[in-house]
Amino acid sequence: MSKLALPRNTTRQAEAILYGDLARRLHRVSGVIIILFVLVHVIVQAVNHVPMFGVAKAAAPWLQPLQEQIWIHAILLFAVVFHTLHGLKLLAGELGFSIDYKASFWIVAVVSMLFAIREGLRYAGV
Amino acid sequence: MTNNIKLRAEIRRYDPAVDQAPRYETYEVEGKDNWRVLDVIRSIYENQAGDLAYQFACRVGRCGTCAVKVNGVPVLACQERCKSEMRIEPLTPFPVLRDLVIDRTEVESRYEHYALAPQRKTEHQGRAEPIEPDLAETLCRMDSCLACMVCVAGCPAVESRAFDGPAFMLKLRYMAKHPADTRNRIEQAIDGGMLECYGCDMCTQLCPADLSPAQAIREFRLEMILGGGKHE
Repeated sequence: MSKLALPRNTTRQAEAILYGDLARRLHRVSGVIIILFVLVHVIVQAVNHVPMFGVAKAAAPWLQPLQEQIWIHAILLFAVVFHTLHGLKLLAGELGFSIDYKASFWIVAVVSMLFAIREGLRYAGV
Repeated sequence: MTNNIKLRAEIRRYDPAVDQAPRYETYEVEGKDNWRVLDVIRSIYENQAGDLAYQFACRVGRCGTCAVKVNGVPVLACQERCKSEMRIEPLTPFPVLRDLVIDRTEVESRYEHYALAPQRKTEHQGRAEPIEPDLAETLCRMDSCLACMVCVAGCPAVESRAFDGPAFMLKLRYMAKHPADTRNRIEQAIDGGMLECYGCDMCTQLCPADLSPAQAIREFRLEMILGGGKHE
Protein backbone atom coordinates (compact mmCIF):
# COMPACT_ATOMS: atom_id res chain seq x y z
CA MET A 1 0.00 0.00 0.00
CA SER A 2 1.38 3.36 -1.01
CA LYS A 3 2.22 5.81 1.75
CA LEU A 4 1.20 8.82 -0.30
CA ALA A 5 -1.18 10.97 1.67
CA LEU A 6 -3.17 12.37 -1.23
CA PRO A 7 -5.40 10.49 -3.63
CA ARG A 8 -3.92 9.96 -7.06
CA ASN A 9 -5.20 11.55 -10.21
CA THR A 10 -8.47 9.84 -11.02
CA THR A 11 -9.58 12.07 -13.84
CA ARG A 12 -9.48 9.54 -16.66
CA GLN A 13 -10.36 6.33 -14.92
CA ALA A 14 -13.16 5.32 -17.29
CA GLU A 15 -10.69 5.34 -20.22
CA ALA A 16 -8.04 3.24 -18.50
CA ILE A 17 -7.26 -0.38 -19.27
CA LEU A 18 -8.69 -2.43 -16.42
CA TYR A 19 -5.60 -4.57 -15.96
CA GLY A 20 -6.98 -6.83 -13.24
CA ASP A 21 -10.11 -7.66 -15.16
CA LEU A 22 -8.19 -8.22 -18.38
CA ALA A 23 -5.70 -10.52 -16.63
CA ARG A 24 -8.50 -12.45 -14.95
CA ARG A 25 -10.35 -12.95 -18.23
CA LEU A 26 -7.17 -13.95 -20.08
CA HIS A 27 -6.38 -16.41 -17.30
CA ARG A 28 -9.75 -18.05 -17.79
CA VAL A 29 -9.59 -18.04 -21.58
CA SER A 30 -6.04 -19.45 -21.54
CA GLY A 31 -7.22 -22.24 -19.22
CA VAL A 32 -10.01 -23.12 -21.64
CA ILE A 33 -7.56 -23.06 -24.59
CA ILE A 34 -5.23 -25.48 -22.79
CA ILE A 35 -8.08 -27.88 -22.01
CA LEU A 36 -9.38 -27.73 -25.59
CA PHE A 37 -5.94 -28.33 -27.08
CA VAL A 38 -5.25 -31.28 -24.77
CA LEU A 39 -8.63 -32.72 -25.76
CA VAL A 40 -7.91 -32.33 -29.50
CA HIS A 41 -4.38 -33.68 -29.00
CA VAL A 42 -5.63 -36.81 -27.20
CA ILE A 43 -8.21 -37.41 -29.93
CA VAL A 44 -5.61 -36.98 -32.71
CA GLN A 45 -3.17 -39.32 -30.99
CA ALA A 46 -5.92 -41.88 -30.49
CA VAL A 47 -6.94 -41.64 -34.14
CA ASN A 48 -3.32 -41.98 -35.26
CA HIS A 49 -2.23 -44.81 -33.03
CA VAL A 50 -5.23 -46.83 -31.88
CA PRO A 51 -6.45 -49.16 -34.67
CA MET A 52 -9.97 -49.06 -33.25
CA PHE A 53 -10.22 -45.38 -34.20
CA GLY A 54 -8.80 -45.90 -37.67
CA VAL A 55 -12.20 -45.19 -39.22
CA ALA A 56 -12.19 -41.70 -37.70
CA LYS A 57 -8.89 -40.95 -39.43
CA ALA A 58 -10.53 -41.34 -42.80
CA ALA A 59 -13.71 -39.57 -41.68
CA ALA A 60 -11.92 -36.53 -40.28
CA PRO A 61 -8.76 -35.96 -42.33
CA TRP A 62 -8.59 -32.36 -41.06
CA LEU A 63 -7.83 -33.49 -37.49
CA GLN A 64 -4.09 -34.08 -37.98
CA PRO A 65 -3.40 -30.83 -39.92
CA LEU A 66 -5.47 -28.95 -37.34
CA GLN A 67 -3.01 -29.54 -34.56
CA GLU A 68 -0.06 -28.78 -36.80
CA GLN A 69 -1.13 -25.20 -37.51
CA ILE A 70 1.57 -22.72 -36.54
CA TRP A 71 -0.91 -20.16 -35.19
CA ILE A 72 -2.56 -22.77 -33.00
CA HIS A 73 0.81 -23.63 -31.45
CA ALA A 74 1.60 -19.97 -30.94
CA ILE A 75 -1.74 -19.42 -29.20
CA LEU A 76 -1.22 -22.57 -27.15
CA LEU A 77 2.21 -21.47 -25.99
CA PHE A 78 0.87 -18.02 -25.13
CA ALA A 79 -1.96 -19.65 -23.16
CA VAL A 80 0.33 -22.05 -21.29
CA VAL A 81 2.87 -19.40 -20.32
CA PHE A 82 0.26 -16.77 -19.44
CA HIS A 83 -1.76 -19.23 -17.36
CA THR A 84 1.34 -20.43 -15.51
CA LEU A 85 2.85 -17.04 -14.79
CA HIS A 86 -0.41 -15.38 -13.83
CA GLY A 87 -1.23 -18.38 -11.64
CA LEU A 88 2.15 -18.04 -9.92
CA LYS A 89 1.48 -14.33 -9.40
CA LEU A 90 -1.84 -15.16 -7.74
CA LEU A 91 -0.11 -17.76 -5.55
CA ALA A 92 2.50 -15.22 -4.54
CA GLY A 93 -0.38 -12.92 -3.58
CA GLU A 94 -1.83 -15.64 -1.38
CA LEU A 95 1.51 -15.79 0.37
CA GLY A 96 1.31 -12.09 1.13
CA PHE A 97 3.59 -10.69 -1.60
CA SER A 98 2.28 -7.44 -2.96
CA ILE A 99 2.86 -7.39 -6.72
CA ASP A 100 1.93 -4.36 -8.78
CA TYR A 101 -1.08 -5.33 -10.90
CA LYS A 102 -0.10 -3.17 -13.86
CA ALA A 103 3.58 -4.13 -14.08
CA SER A 104 2.82 -7.80 -13.50
CA PHE A 105 0.21 -7.82 -16.25
CA TRP A 106 2.59 -6.36 -18.82
CA ILE A 107 5.48 -8.61 -17.76
CA VAL A 108 3.34 -11.75 -17.95
CA ALA A 109 1.77 -10.70 -21.27
CA VAL A 110 5.08 -9.77 -22.92
CA VAL A 111 6.88 -12.93 -21.73
CA SER A 112 3.94 -15.05 -22.96
CA MET A 113 4.00 -13.24 -26.28
CA LEU A 114 7.75 -13.86 -26.66
CA PHE A 115 7.19 -17.58 -26.10
CA ALA A 116 4.35 -17.55 -28.63
CA ILE A 117 6.50 -15.80 -31.25
CA ARG A 118 9.42 -18.15 -30.63
CA GLU A 119 7.14 -21.18 -31.01
CA GLY A 120 5.64 -19.75 -34.17
CA LEU A 121 9.10 -19.17 -35.65
CA ARG A 122 10.25 -22.64 -34.62
CA TYR A 123 7.33 -24.27 -36.42
CA ALA A 124 7.87 -22.04 -39.40
CA GLY A 125 11.47 -23.29 -39.52
CA VAL A 126 13.06 -19.90 -38.84
CA MET B 1 -7.02 26.91 -22.02
CA THR B 2 -10.43 25.33 -22.29
CA ASN B 3 -12.38 24.63 -25.45
CA ASN B 4 -16.09 24.35 -26.01
CA ILE B 5 -17.21 20.85 -26.91
CA LYS B 6 -20.42 19.03 -27.64
CA LEU B 7 -21.14 16.12 -25.35
CA ARG B 8 -23.58 13.30 -25.67
CA ALA B 9 -24.61 11.70 -22.39
CA GLU B 10 -26.83 8.69 -22.12
CA ILE B 11 -28.26 8.48 -18.61
CA ARG B 12 -30.04 5.54 -17.05
CA ARG B 13 -33.38 6.82 -15.82
CA TYR B 14 -35.48 4.80 -13.44
CA ASP B 15 -38.04 5.65 -10.83
CA PRO B 16 -39.23 2.42 -9.20
CA ALA B 17 -42.45 4.13 -8.11
CA VAL B 18 -43.42 5.05 -11.67
CA ASP B 19 -41.38 3.10 -14.23
CA GLN B 20 -41.80 -0.56 -15.04
CA ALA B 21 -38.21 -0.87 -16.20
CA PRO B 22 -35.12 1.34 -16.51
CA ARG B 23 -34.63 3.31 -19.71
CA TYR B 24 -31.75 5.28 -21.20
CA GLU B 25 -32.25 8.90 -22.18
CA THR B 26 -29.77 10.75 -24.35
CA TYR B 27 -28.88 14.39 -23.74
CA GLU B 28 -26.80 16.72 -25.91
CA VAL B 29 -24.78 19.15 -23.82
CA GLU B 30 -22.65 22.16 -24.78
CA GLY B 31 -19.75 22.08 -22.36
CA LYS B 32 -16.06 22.68 -21.82
CA ASP B 33 -13.42 20.04 -22.35
CA ASN B 34 -12.23 20.35 -18.75
CA TRP B 35 -15.67 19.60 -17.32
CA ARG B 36 -16.07 16.69 -14.96
CA VAL B 37 -18.86 14.16 -15.33
CA LEU B 38 -20.63 15.85 -12.41
CA ASP B 39 -20.64 19.16 -14.30
CA VAL B 40 -22.36 17.43 -17.22
CA ILE B 41 -24.96 15.86 -14.93
CA ARG B 42 -25.60 19.21 -13.25
CA SER B 43 -25.95 20.93 -16.60
CA ILE B 44 -28.49 18.32 -17.72
CA TYR B 45 -30.38 18.72 -14.46
CA GLU B 46 -30.41 22.53 -14.71
CA ASN B 47 -31.23 22.86 -18.40
CA GLN B 48 -32.87 19.71 -19.70
CA ALA B 49 -34.13 17.29 -17.07
CA GLY B 50 -35.19 18.95 -13.83
CA ASP B 51 -36.47 15.63 -12.53
CA LEU B 52 -33.09 13.89 -12.80
CA ALA B 53 -32.08 12.44 -9.43
CA TYR B 54 -28.35 12.48 -8.59
CA GLN B 55 -26.30 13.33 -5.56
CA PHE B 56 -23.04 14.99 -4.63
CA ALA B 57 -21.57 16.84 -1.69
CA CYS B 58 -17.91 17.87 -1.59
CA ARG B 59 -17.03 18.07 -5.31
CA VAL B 60 -13.35 17.46 -4.50
CA GLY B 61 -13.27 13.67 -4.35
CA ARG B 62 -13.32 13.34 -0.58
CA CYS B 63 -16.88 12.30 0.25
CA GLY B 64 -17.61 9.56 -2.30
CA THR B 65 -21.26 10.60 -2.63
CA CYS B 66 -21.25 11.21 -6.38
CA ALA B 67 -19.94 7.76 -7.42
CA VAL B 68 -21.51 6.54 -10.66
CA LYS B 69 -20.59 4.25 -13.53
CA VAL B 70 -19.26 5.96 -16.64
CA ASN B 71 -19.07 3.72 -19.71
CA GLY B 72 -19.28 0.74 -17.37
CA VAL B 73 -16.44 1.82 -15.07
CA PRO B 74 -17.22 3.01 -11.53
CA VAL B 75 -15.77 6.47 -10.89
CA LEU B 76 -16.31 9.58 -8.80
CA ALA B 77 -18.34 11.90 -11.02
CA CYS B 78 -16.67 14.97 -9.53
CA GLN B 79 -13.19 13.71 -10.50
CA GLU B 80 -13.70 11.98 -13.82
CA ARG B 81 -13.22 14.12 -16.93
CA CYS B 82 -16.20 14.24 -19.25
CA LYS B 83 -16.04 12.35 -22.53
CA SER B 84 -17.71 13.25 -25.79
CA GLU B 85 -19.78 10.07 -25.56
CA MET B 86 -20.78 8.82 -22.13
CA ARG B 87 -23.16 6.31 -20.67
CA ILE B 88 -23.84 7.24 -17.05
CA GLU B 89 -25.41 4.68 -14.75
CA PRO B 90 -25.87 4.22 -11.01
CA LEU B 91 -23.45 1.95 -9.15
CA THR B 92 -24.20 -1.76 -9.21
CA PRO B 93 -25.20 -4.07 -7.52
CA PHE B 94 -27.08 -1.71 -5.24
CA PRO B 95 -30.82 -1.09 -5.44
CA VAL B 96 -31.69 2.19 -7.14
CA LEU B 97 -33.77 4.77 -5.31
CA ARG B 98 -34.12 6.90 -8.42
CA ASP B 99 -32.01 7.54 -11.53
CA LEU B 100 -28.39 7.83 -10.34
CA VAL B 101 -29.11 7.59 -6.62
CA ILE B 102 -28.52 4.23 -4.98
CA ASP B 103 -30.01 2.93 -1.76
CA ARG B 104 -27.15 2.65 0.76
CA THR B 105 -29.25 1.00 3.48
CA GLU B 106 -27.63 -2.38 2.92
CA VAL B 107 -24.16 -0.83 2.90
CA GLU B 108 -24.76 0.89 6.22
CA SER B 109 -26.29 -2.23 7.75
CA ARG B 110 -23.23 -4.26 6.72
CA TYR B 111 -20.91 -1.73 8.31
CA GLU B 112 -23.04 -1.94 11.43
CA HIS B 113 -23.05 -5.74 11.33
CA TYR B 114 -19.24 -5.81 11.26
CA ALA B 115 -19.10 -3.65 14.44
CA LEU B 116 -16.25 -1.50 13.13
CA ALA B 117 -15.20 0.05 16.42
CA PRO B 118 -12.53 -1.49 18.65
CA GLN B 119 -14.07 -4.36 20.59
CA ARG B 120 -12.24 -4.30 23.92
CA LYS B 121 -11.95 -7.01 26.50
CA THR B 122 -11.79 -4.47 29.29
CA GLU B 123 -13.36 -1.06 29.51
CA HIS B 124 -11.46 1.92 28.10
CA GLN B 125 -9.34 3.51 30.82
CA GLY B 126 -10.26 7.00 29.81
CA ARG B 127 -6.77 8.09 28.87
CA ALA B 128 -4.89 8.18 25.59
CA GLU B 129 -3.42 4.88 24.45
CA PRO B 130 -0.12 5.37 22.63
CA ILE B 131 0.22 3.66 19.23
CA GLU B 132 3.52 3.03 17.48
CA PRO B 133 3.95 5.87 14.90
CA ASP B 134 4.34 3.55 11.89
CA LEU B 135 1.23 1.63 12.83
CA ALA B 136 -0.63 4.87 13.49
CA GLU B 137 0.27 6.09 10.01
CA THR B 138 -0.89 2.84 8.43
CA LEU B 139 -4.14 2.91 10.37
CA CYS B 140 -4.73 6.55 9.53
CA ARG B 141 -4.23 5.78 5.88
CA MET B 142 -6.47 2.71 5.88
CA ASP B 143 -9.14 4.77 7.61
CA SER B 144 -9.18 7.24 4.72
CA CYS B 145 -11.57 4.97 2.81
CA LEU B 146 -14.40 7.13 1.44
CA ALA B 147 -16.94 4.28 1.55
CA CYS B 148 -17.89 5.40 -1.96
CA MET B 149 -18.48 1.77 -3.02
CA VAL B 150 -16.53 2.26 -6.27
CA CYS B 151 -14.48 -0.84 -5.42
CA VAL B 152 -17.59 -2.89 -4.68
CA ALA B 153 -19.19 -1.83 -7.97
CA GLY B 154 -16.02 -2.70 -9.91
CA CYS B 155 -15.33 -6.03 -8.20
CA PRO B 156 -15.99 -9.02 -10.48
CA ALA B 157 -16.27 -11.34 -7.44
CA VAL B 158 -19.10 -9.28 -5.94
CA GLU B 159 -20.93 -9.61 -9.24
CA SER B 160 -20.74 -13.38 -9.42
CA ARG B 161 -20.07 -14.75 -5.94
CA ALA B 162 -21.18 -14.44 -2.31
CA PHE B 163 -18.73 -11.68 -1.46
CA ASP B 164 -19.62 -8.53 0.48
CA GLY B 165 -16.95 -6.51 -1.28
CA PRO B 166 -13.44 -5.08 -0.97
CA ALA B 167 -14.46 -1.97 1.03
CA PHE B 168 -15.70 -4.09 3.92
CA MET B 169 -12.59 -6.28 3.89
CA LEU B 170 -10.41 -3.16 4.09
CA LYS B 171 -12.34 -1.96 7.14
CA LEU B 172 -12.05 -5.38 8.76
CA ARG B 173 -8.30 -5.40 8.11
CA TYR B 174 -8.10 -1.94 9.67
CA MET B 175 -9.79 -3.31 12.78
CA ALA B 176 -7.57 -6.41 12.76
CA LYS B 177 -4.52 -4.13 12.85
CA HIS B 178 -5.97 -1.83 15.52
CA PRO B 179 -4.17 -2.55 18.81
CA ALA B 180 -7.27 -1.96 20.93
CA ASP B 181 -9.45 -4.38 19.00
CA THR B 182 -9.69 -7.97 20.28
CA ARG B 183 -12.38 -9.43 18.03
CA ASN B 184 -11.55 -12.19 15.55
CA ARG B 185 -11.73 -10.21 12.33
CA ILE B 186 -10.48 -13.04 10.08
CA GLU B 187 -13.58 -15.01 10.95
CA GLN B 188 -15.75 -12.02 10.03
CA ALA B 189 -13.83 -11.56 6.77
CA ILE B 190 -14.33 -15.23 5.86
CA ASP B 191 -18.03 -14.92 6.65
CA GLY B 192 -18.12 -11.86 4.41
CA GLY B 193 -16.75 -13.92 1.50
CA MET B 194 -13.07 -12.94 1.62
CA LEU B 195 -12.07 -16.28 0.10
CA GLU B 196 -14.15 -15.52 -2.99
CA CYS B 197 -11.83 -12.64 -3.99
CA TYR B 198 -10.14 -13.26 -7.37
CA GLY B 199 -7.06 -11.27 -6.41
CA CYS B 200 -7.42 -9.21 -9.58
CA ASP B 201 -6.67 -5.84 -7.91
CA MET B 202 -9.53 -4.08 -9.68
CA CYS B 203 -10.35 -2.46 -6.35
CA THR B 204 -6.76 -1.19 -6.06
CA GLN B 205 -6.90 0.31 -9.53
CA LEU B 206 -10.31 1.95 -9.06
CA CYS B 207 -10.04 3.21 -5.46
CA PRO B 208 -10.28 7.04 -5.51
CA ALA B 209 -8.43 7.20 -2.18
CA ASP B 210 -5.52 5.15 -3.55
CA LEU B 211 -6.03 2.34 -1.06
CA SER B 212 -5.60 -1.36 -1.73
CA PRO B 213 -8.39 -3.52 -0.36
CA ALA B 214 -6.84 -6.40 -2.36
CA GLN B 215 -3.68 -6.12 -0.28
CA ALA B 216 -5.79 -6.14 2.90
CA ILE B 217 -7.37 -9.38 1.68
CA ARG B 218 -3.92 -10.83 0.85
CA GLU B 219 -2.74 -10.01 4.37
CA PHE B 220 -5.81 -11.72 5.84
CA ARG B 221 -5.21 -14.79 3.68
CA LEU B 222 -1.55 -14.99 4.61
CA GLU B 223 -2.49 -14.74 8.26
CA MET B 224 -5.03 -17.49 7.73
CA ILE B 225 -2.43 -19.78 6.10
CA LEU B 226 0.58 -19.07 8.30
CA GLY B 227 -1.06 -17.78 11.45
CA GLY B 228 0.36 -14.80 13.30
CA GLY B 229 -2.86 -12.88 13.85
CA LYS B 230 -3.95 -11.45 17.17
CA HIS B 231 -6.11 -14.45 17.90
CA GLU B 232 -3.55 -17.24 17.61
